[in-house]
Amino acid sequence: MFIVALKGLAARKLRLLLTAVSIALGVSFVTGTFVLGDTMTATFDKLYADMGQGTDVTVRARPAFTDAPTMGSPRPMPVDLVDRVREVPGVAAAEGGITGYALMLDKSGKPIQPGGAPTLGVSHAEDEKLGGSISLRAGRAPAGPNEVAIDAATARKHGYAPGDRIRIVFESGKPADFALVGVIGFGDADNLAGATLAAFDLTTAQQVLGRPGQVDQIAVRATDGIGPDELRTRIAAVLPADLEAVTRATVAGEASRAVREGLSFFTTAFLGFAAVSLLVGGFLIWNTFSILVAQRGREHALLRAIGARRRQLLAAVLTEAVAVGLLASALGLGLGLLVSGGLRGLLAAVGIEVPTTTLQLESRTVVAALAVGLGVTLVAALVPAWRATRVPPIAALREAATPAHTLPKVRIVLGGALLAAGLPALSWAIAGPSRGGAAMLGSLATFVGFLLLAPALVRPLVAVLGAPIARLGMAGELARQNAGRTPRRTASTAAALTIGLTLVVAMTVVATSMKASVADVLVRANRADLILKADSQMAPGIPAAAADKLRVLPEVGVVSPMRFGRIQVAGQTNSVAAVDPGTAEQVADIGVASGSLSALADGEFMATVDEAKAHGWQAGDQVTLRFPHTGDHTLRLAGTYTDTTLLGAGYLITIPTYEENFSERLDVAVLVTAAGGIPADALKRSVQQALADYPNVAVQDTAEFNAAQGATVDQLLGLVNALLGLAVLIALLGVVNTLALSVLERTRELGLLRAVGMTRRQVRACIRWEAVLVAAIGSVLGTVLGLLIGMAAARALAGEGITVLQVPIAQPLVYAVVGAAAGILAAITPARKAAKVDVLRAVVAE
Amino acid sequence: MAPPTSTLLDVAARTVDTVKVYGRNESVVRALDGVTIDFTRGAFTAIMGPSGSGKSTLLHCLAGLDTVTSGEVYIGDTAIAGLSDSDLTLLRRDRLGFVFQTYNLVPTLTAAENIELPLRLAGRRADPAWLETVVAAVGLADRLGHRPAELSGGQQQRVAAARALVTRPEILFADEPTGALDSRSSAELLAFLRRAVDEFGQTIVMVTHDPMAAARADRVVFLADGRIVNEMIAPTTGDILDAMKKLGG
Ligand SMILES: Nc1ncnc2c1ncn2[C@@H]1O[C@H](COP(=O)(O)OP(=O)(O)OP(=O)(O)O)[C@@H](O)[C@H]1O
Ligand SMILES: [Mg+2]
Repeated sequence: MFIVALKGLAARKLRLLLTAVSIALGVSFVTGTFVLGDTMTATFDKLYADMGQGTDVTVRARPAFTDAPTMGSPRPMPVDLVDRVREVPGVAAAEGGITGYALMLDKSGKPIQPGGAPTLGVSHAEDEKLGGSISLRAGRAPAGPNEVAIDAATARKHGYAPGDRIRIVFESGKPADFALVGVIGFGDADNLAGATLAAFDLTTAQQVLGRPGQVDQIAVRATDGIGPDELRTRIAAVLPADLEAVTRATVAGEASRAVREGLSFFTTAFLGFAAVSLLVGGFLIWNTFSILVAQRGREHALLRAIGARRRQLLAAVLTEAVAVGLLASALGLGLGLLVSGGLRGLLAAVGIEVPTTTLQLESRTVVAALAVGLGVTLVAALVPAWRATRVPPIAALREAATPAHTLPKVRIVLGGALLAAGLPALSWAIAGPSRGGAAMLGSLATFVGFLLLAPALVRPLVAVLGAPIARLGMAGELARQNAGRTPRRTASTAAALTIGLTLVVAMTVVATSMKASVADVLVRANRADLILKADSQMAPGIPAAAADKLRVLPEVGVVSPMRFGRIQVAGQTNSVAAVDPGTAEQVADIGVASGSLSALADGEFMATVDEAKAHGWQAGDQVTLRFPHTGDHTLRLAGTYTDTTLLGAGYLITIPTYEENFSERLDVAVLVTAAGGIPADALKRSVQQALADYPNVAVQDTAEFNAAQGATVDQLLGLVNALLGLAVLIALLGVVNTLALSVLERTRELGLLRAVGMTRRQVRACIRWEAVLVAAIGSVLGTVLGLLIGMAAARALAGEGITVLQVPIAQPLVYAVVGAAAGILAAITPARKAAKVDVLRAVVAE
Repeated sequence: MAPPTSTLLDVAARTVDTVKVYGRNESVVRALDGVTIDFTRGAFTAIMGPSGSGKSTLLHCLAGLDTVTSGEVYIGDTAIAGLSDSDLTLLRRDRLGFVFQTYNLVPTLTAAENIELPLRLAGRRADPAWLETVVAAVGLADRLGHRPAELSGGQQQRVAAARALVTRPEILFADEPTGALDSRSSAELLAFLRRAVDEFGQTIVMVTHDPMAAARADRVVFLADGRIVNEMIAPTTGDILDAMKKLGG
């Protein structure tokens, strides 16, 4: 039996490859994700381990809680602590260090803003060993108030070399010129995870970073013969309570964990896409094997008639599946290495740059690829294989082609029940906000119900969608009939496309609603004429001096800066916004419910109505809030508000309160209104002029801000759809495969048609239109489902800021038409094959 | 070689010294070994001969379904040797009709649609009167909406014959059209072919093994080993049986 199966495989190499590719693409995503994740983790682990090489113990502020977004600048400590640590027995060297914001400008005066990574200003360690893997690639270490050394990547990219002068902007907003005296490398890497770095001597760093006499942390090196744990205990004993000493292992572990956490979102997302591709690929495998089993019905019956047992038939079909699965895994593994490169590019596009190192292919990745490739293929082939064993031996003697299967009752009942439950659930989810459970279950039930009933829908859909095609002539009419001929085959081929398109359209609905919501928020909540933000999404913000500069402009009405942070309330982390109560009301409508925003005093806070209710607070209550650096503080609840859409924070405090508890000194956004009678463009011009020295501040009027927000959503949508495009591509491969098999099956018929006068061109048209019809069915179903599911999802996300449901019309239509038209591409090879059918051989074949 | 002359005007098709060789080297088969024959317009010709004698090959070469190794084949005035695949297709569609032994119909199309297929492929509509005549002649008026799977073998062959006639082809080729039929269905189909010749002046070339079928023809040509070995005009079944015995087939 194995020989029968393997001979069958060898005879159909192309189909084998095509089938395998559909799974291989999904597998490649899995391996690509693993490889990229492993590579990045390994890279960063090494980078951080090397960095901390010479430092045995680090002294730093003890955070009240840690949370990814608060990992910015730690609370500083007085520099005389360094001397105290230095006196601890066993300390060979101790040096204070400081890190802050320093934005370098390139030679044309434009800010050097790495996508997503921070722009760091640091103090350069004098003790070479404490510097870890940091080494001078060229020049010398910076010394004195006018000297700087920069990272090798920036130097290389922007053509800086020792001897040049470089202009740097600091938190204070003041640019200053420095003599570039050295270029720094980090072991093999040219920069630190994409960040730009400007290094000064400690005193200069303290000065320019705005923290004279202070350091963030103290790096300590032990004398020979004393262990890090022992030294850590000794140092901890001399530290005040709010500081802690940690060993090198702890620091490296934290850094590594942070990288993993930062990456986990992306790995999860990528694996999600991989799952979608695998699902689609599984459909294809199922379909291919179903067709094979149907086509080989007679062959199987003959084998049974001459004594093959059911088990042997099952084994024969599954052998083929194993071969396909193995091939798919191997292909997927190879492709995965390429995909990891592609994914790295995607990450770079969203601002996460990964240093290039050798790809990490771990045994787990290989095992996963094999398991996924083989597993999906086998599972998908199981039912068709089982069906093969049900062929009665008598079928070998019957002339009849494979009988037209009717849908099993179970399937109809189950599909009907799922639709009957799913559609009302979906409508209910669409009818009201935040019905996440109903949206999810309804979507799932409707989706699966549709897929189960799809074969029953094929005939009517073919009749409707095929009507214009049939009018094109005989080729069109035959195409329509062929598409409706084996509804199950058409349905499962189309279903693969449906899956992809459903997701794409649903995403589009959600994204469109998101954009509409942002625009709506701006109209409703925003009263400012201009919005100032840092040029890069990930940059920490705008120097506070910028706001000061604007306040004196005659064209400007009010200037209201805002900052953000995270706090914990009763163990739960929440966002807090710092505003200027004097001006905030004039730039934003936050829907004050009780108390008054303009009367908000230092030492007081406001909370959303929901938060106050959840914690049972009344206005005037004293409430304990926990800040990451300064720990618990009791503040008075001054009032409540309802609208978080502009600020996106559950808590409000004043800027002085913020400055007491957070070390960040940059404004995240500055909202500006025009003085009475000043037109918006005049305001914008004067603001831009005033901020000429702040090259990284983007000045946007509301329309621009709106467009920029929309563009961000679009970019994200584009990214997601590009990934989903893979699933659509696999589905199209499925159309190719099914058509190719159908052409093979209909060789005689095609020969007959050619014999009675069908031209090659007509044969090609016939196959092409069939492909278009199948693709159109998939696209139409996908679009309808996607619209429904997208609407439900958008409504379910009302709590996350999608307050407006907007259903796009043009985009889904375009997707549907493009999806259907893609059938033309899918038909190219099968159509060519069909046109080449040897008329004579087909006609005389017995 | 020989251009058509006025004396050949009522020749619907002819071959001139046609040779067809299959295979190469040791396994060479001369399926047609210099066949020269005319098919008169409006006549019903039967081709007989032992199995493997080249009957189907001759038919395929005449119909442009297969290429000849040497010699010439004409449909009317048209030499088909130099025609492209697309010209051959159009020739078949517009000027020839076919009935094969089995598998004559497209399974997804109804009987009526199958009959109209060649016309529809040409983007034309059937002349309703002619269509009605043909359908009536095959005696299938009440079965037109059925698909092939719902028709008996004999009915299917008659639908195929109707399809072959509906374009008013210059020649209708039939390769053992009764091969898979019982005697009654055979008789019905042959009666129909006969009427087509008598009433519509149709030219028919039919390959058959059945002496009774051949006896309905105007002329019977015998092939053996790729050559024409005998020819009879309006023979009876008995004459044909005698000739077959002589051939040892
Ligand atoms: N495609 C082919 N390749 C090789 N040889 C072929 C091919 N087709 C036919 N032949 C050979 O050519 C010869 C004539 O075949 P043909 O089919 O014309 O015979 P026939 O008279 O129609 O026989 P039958 O009565 O059995 O149908 C035979 O010997 C056959 O083996
Ligand atoms: Mg024959």
